Amino acid sequence: MRLALVGFGTVGQGVAEAVAMKKDFIFDRFGTDLKIVAAFDSMTYAMDPRGLKPLELVAKKQSGKGLGKTRPKSVAEMLRELDYDVLVEMTPTNIENAEPGYTNIRTALECCRDVVTSNKGPLALNYRTLDELSKKNGVELRFEATVGGATPIINLSRELLMAEKVESMKGILNGTCNFILSRMGEEGLPFEYVLKEAQEMGYAETDPSYDIDGIDSASKLAILANAIMGLDVTYNDVRRTGIRRITLEAVELAAKEKKVIRLIGEVNGGGVEVSPRMVPLGHPLSISGTLNVLHMHTDLAGAITVTGRGAGRKETASAIMSDLVGLLKRNACLLNGKVK
Amino acid sequence: MRVNVDLRLKDVPGQLIKALEPISVNEGNIVGVVHNHDLVTGGRISVNVTFEYKDQRSLDAIFSAWKERGVEVVKMGEIVRTFAAEYLMVGNLAHSTLRGITEGIEKMEGVETIDLQYSLSTSTANKSVLLLVNLRNKEKVRDIDDYLRSRSKRNDFLLIRGMGV
Repeated sequence: MRLALVGFGTVGQGVAEAVAMKKDFIFDRFGTDLKIVAAFDSMTYAMDPRGLKPLELVAKKQSGKGLGKTRPKSVAEMLRELDYDVLVEMTPTNIENAEPGYTNIRTALECCRDVVTSNKGPLALNYRTLDELSKKNGVELRFEATVGGATPIINLSRELLMAEKVESMKGILNGTCNFILSRMGEEGLPFEYVLKEAQEMGYAETDPSYDIDGIDSASKLAILANAIMGLDVTYNDVRRTGIRRITLEAVELAAKEKKVIRLIGEVNGGGVEVSPRMVPLGHPLSISGTLNVLHMHTDLAGAITVTGRGAGRKETASAIMSDLVGLLKRNACLLNGKVK
Repeated sequence: MRVNVDLRLKDVPGQLIKALEPISVNEGNIVGVVHNHDLVTGGRISVNVTFEYKDQRSLDAIFSAWKERGVEVVKMGEIVRTFAAEYLMVGNLAHSTLRGITEGIEKMEGVETIDLQYSLSTSTANKSVLLLVNLRNKEKVRDIDDYLRSRSKRNDFLLIRGMGV
């Protein structure tokens, strides 16, 4: 299966490493290779129809020299001329207009290529358009890495729980906010102090608004509402309150009632909302640290809770690999005539 | 609604089933039964039953079935079940603002009790207040959510809801 990797930052490099690491497993299991035929970063690219060496790409990128030649035109234009099977889109999330990820994904789907992405913007803003386009062209759009990192939320719901109707869901979808809120509660430290600590530890960006204002959680919740509950909503429909105004006093007052404060995303009959909530100690959503968790209620199975590490190079690469393996399995079934 | 009744049954085998059957037949849900074998008065034993009923019609049907079967009802009391909704408010919460909020909630249908707990801070500008509301009907929680949301916008405070009832 020939891959075009677009975006070669932390996630892209993690995926290249995972492709190298799982080479033997893929060949033993599916009798084929994951061959990287093109890789693009923001300025440069490398291309070889016989396959590029994944670890050499990573080393080149880390040397600061880019991936190869300077790109003469946009990635989307180059994708139209390229021969590949799967676009792996890993450019950074842009929640204003979803670009350049949206155009890249749309281009690949229009050219009848499968797409695997970790980019939340295109799906949080244009889920229905992209979903319909992929179905119309008979290709797959997979996006496990957009929500919950290594936690298998989307594929679990769409594949293993396919017969279930998910009636409601609540979750912690941002590890940075959970780290800040749990440190405030467990160590009695004020918000500003823990935020600085999170920035020093690399959990929060210099501009932390994307995390602490609930933007990241709301993007993920919009994707889940579409993918798991079949709603037609975008990021802009999510009611959103962040954690900026939470004081240590508020955390302590909640603790007296045996509750913790957590940033919770919720989809139910009342709408789609991200906001801080008081969670009873011992509840599946009262978890501490940088973990992510999703708690669903379905018509047959009842309550299901999934938890895991929500972000990071290896974790996101793991989610992308699960989508790539999903495509390999589908191809194997098609080849054997098991799927019409 | 939930109800608690003291029944008197003949002290012969099969009477308890005779007393409980009309509850399930009329769409009631038995929550608890206390059978006092030791308390026999005039050849009858005392049984205390708590059950939920669907509506007045189904409760009437249960009572008339008991009458037909010779089951005596000696005492009945309605148990009002309440649901607790919790909110934490953080921000500029002057006494007048809090009074306005509690008065607004008191006027709402189905509200039984309201309780406020304050943080120790003397600063009004960033006060934390825990609000506990007991309701007779859990469907009304959404009305309180909506009311507090609009107050949080108007008075510029952060509203932290509980996980629902």
